[in-house]
Amino acid sequence: MSAVTAERRIVRPRRTDVLPVAALLVLLAVGASTPRFLSLDNVKAILTSASLIGIAGLGLTLIVIGGTSVSLAISQSVAVSAMVFLAVQSAGLVVALVVTIVTGALITGLQGLVVGYGEANPIVLTIAAGFALTGLATGVGGGTSVSPTGTGYTVLNATPGGLPLSVFTLVLLTVAVQAVLDRSVFGRLLYLTGENRPAARAAGLPVGRVVTVAWVLAGALFAIAAAFSGAFNTSANINLGGTLTFDAIAAVLAGGTPIAGGKGSARRTLAGVLLIATVSDILLLRGYSTGAQIMVKGLIVLAVILVVHLRTTRGRP
Amino acid sequence: MSRFARPEVLVPGVALGATLLVFAALPLRTGQLLTPFDAYNALQVLARLGPLILALGLTMIAGEFDLSVVGTYAFGGMLAVTYGQDHWALGLLLALAAGVAVGVLQGVVVARFRISSMPVTLATYITLLGLTSSLSGGLSKTFDNADVTLWVDRPVLQVFSPRSLLALVVFLVLALVLAGSRWGREIRAIGGDRRASRVSGVRDDRLLVGLFATSGLLAAGGGALLNFSLGSANPDPGVQPLILAAVAALLGGVSLAGGRGSVLGLLAGALTIAFLAQVVTVAALPTYVSQLFYALLLAGVVAVDAPGLRRGVLRLRKVRR
Repeated sequence: MSAVTAERRIVRPRRTDVLPVAALLVLLAVGASTPRFLSLDNVKAILTSASLIGIAGLGLTLIVIGGTSVSLAISQSVAVSAMVFLAVQSAGLVVALVVTIVTGALITGLQGLVVGYGEANPIVLTIAAGFALTGLATGVGGGTSVSPTGTGYTVLNATPGGLPLSVFTLVLLTVAVQAVLDRSVFGRLLYLTGENRPAARAAGLPVGRVVTVAWVLAGALFAIAAAFSGAFNTSANINLGGTLTFDAIAAVLAGGTPIAGGKGSARRTLAGVLLIATVSDILLLRGYSTGAQIMVKGLIVLAVILVVHLRTTRGRP
Repeated sequence: MSRFARPEVLVPGVALGATLLVFAALPLRTGQLLTPFDAYNALQVLARLGPLILALGLTMIAGEFDLSVVGTYAFGGMLAVTYGQDHWALGLLLALAAGVAVGVLQGVVVARFRISSMPVTLATYITLLGLTSSLSGGLSKTFDNADVTLWVDRPVLQVFSPRSLLALVVFLVLALVLAGSRWGREIRAIGGDRRASRVSGVRDDRLLVGLFATSGLLAAGGGALLNFSLGSANPDPGVQPLILAAVAALLGGVSLAGGRGSVLGLLAGALTIAFLAQVVTVAALPTYVSQLFYALLLAGVVAVDAPGLRRGVLRLRKVRR
């Protein structure tokens, strides 16, 4: 399918093809003319701020490609996973990581089960899940923050070569998710399911299972982001996730993955999160307020959505 | 199927009925009789969230999902406080105008490009939050007109306030307008099957622009009145109001798939949320109980609306027979 679009693009270059390239050039030009933008410290700052949103965004990418809209419970899933991560530190880092990833995969995977087999509306379901997670976490934990029961987590705060471990993890996970999407049977099935679920079902594809696996993997990725977040903050409560839900959605959309499903990639999400982080960074260095940074982030997302939409609907009635 | 088994009647009926029963049973727990003040407080919650519920709910009936309402809520509220210090009406008017402008812009984009409204309104939401924060330098802004603050929450007939009365009037007027004109049917039609309704002569593009403008107007007006009442403007209300508005709309029998629901259903959903909040307060329940209760109610909504789950249940019944 991508070969077809590539061919068409060569034959008839489209006006919208120029836009991303032009935008990138403008961005780099503005960046280069901004003092301290090209310094090593600044590149580190961009990457660090991007890493956690990026890892969660990779998880969300799978959900979006599968045509199951978005999860509105990312913040809560990450917060609960981080609480688990810190609570089981006494068992050692490896065990804690495994427990956390399994917990995260279960939390989001269960929702995927209902979305995949039950065809539940993912938005409604994840709002419900968000309430349930908040309620359970507060009810069980009494509303207090979880403190680490061991010190193994400090390994996650390491900065080999000056870059936080989370940045390397983001890059590795992007490659891994991209490989799963491109090369595995699951990846193919996920795109087909996301493109047209009734057709995929009619063709006998295991739609329920594909969606469930996508959500399980997403939950595992949320849990990895959670482990880093818990390690960085050294304490976790239900509010740890903050604005992560919408940050991750913004990153996926800014990368050009359409919300309708059936398209998108891990690379795009990485690009999206880097784009937002870079622009925010330029605005910060140039002395603009937080408000201006948030506003520009919204406008970038809007612009990308419109360009992607125009590209995909071109020539259709 | 009988009229009462339809989700748009069943869901709000059960949700509001159960909530009012629990509310009425409150004296059993507290040992004190209910007072008009309890109803007043519940209606104050309705005043706070009602406009937002209408703003989001109307777009949901039309098959759209206007996430930007909480951004417009914050932006309108900030404008009203910033420019309404001397003349509250000026601030309110500015807020309403901004709300309509935001709504029209979004409506035009959604209708013109036939693009899914959720990502567009998410982007607008983020943009508006940024804009609101820029207006106030990221800080809360106090509203010094204490007369207005006192007036909007003044008890009327013991249980109402000008704010809650206004919210109720808006609900009723919209209910009458949509029931008495072809708009109500057309909104459901474009929510159910956009292409079919277009073919049968519904001007869906105009209707969408009108809907998003109404949504923006309601959200901005709601934000302005809320901030007059609070005596301050918060640049970031968080996502909780949005989530609660979505919950109220869903409990009001509106489906996220579109094509189903009514303004009276939205009112029932709004009252459910409002009285639930008061139940939690009066019974001094820990907040996590209400969170779990919302989760349970929404799980019910999910079950009613999930075709796969329904098929599974039917299959189980057949096996038993």
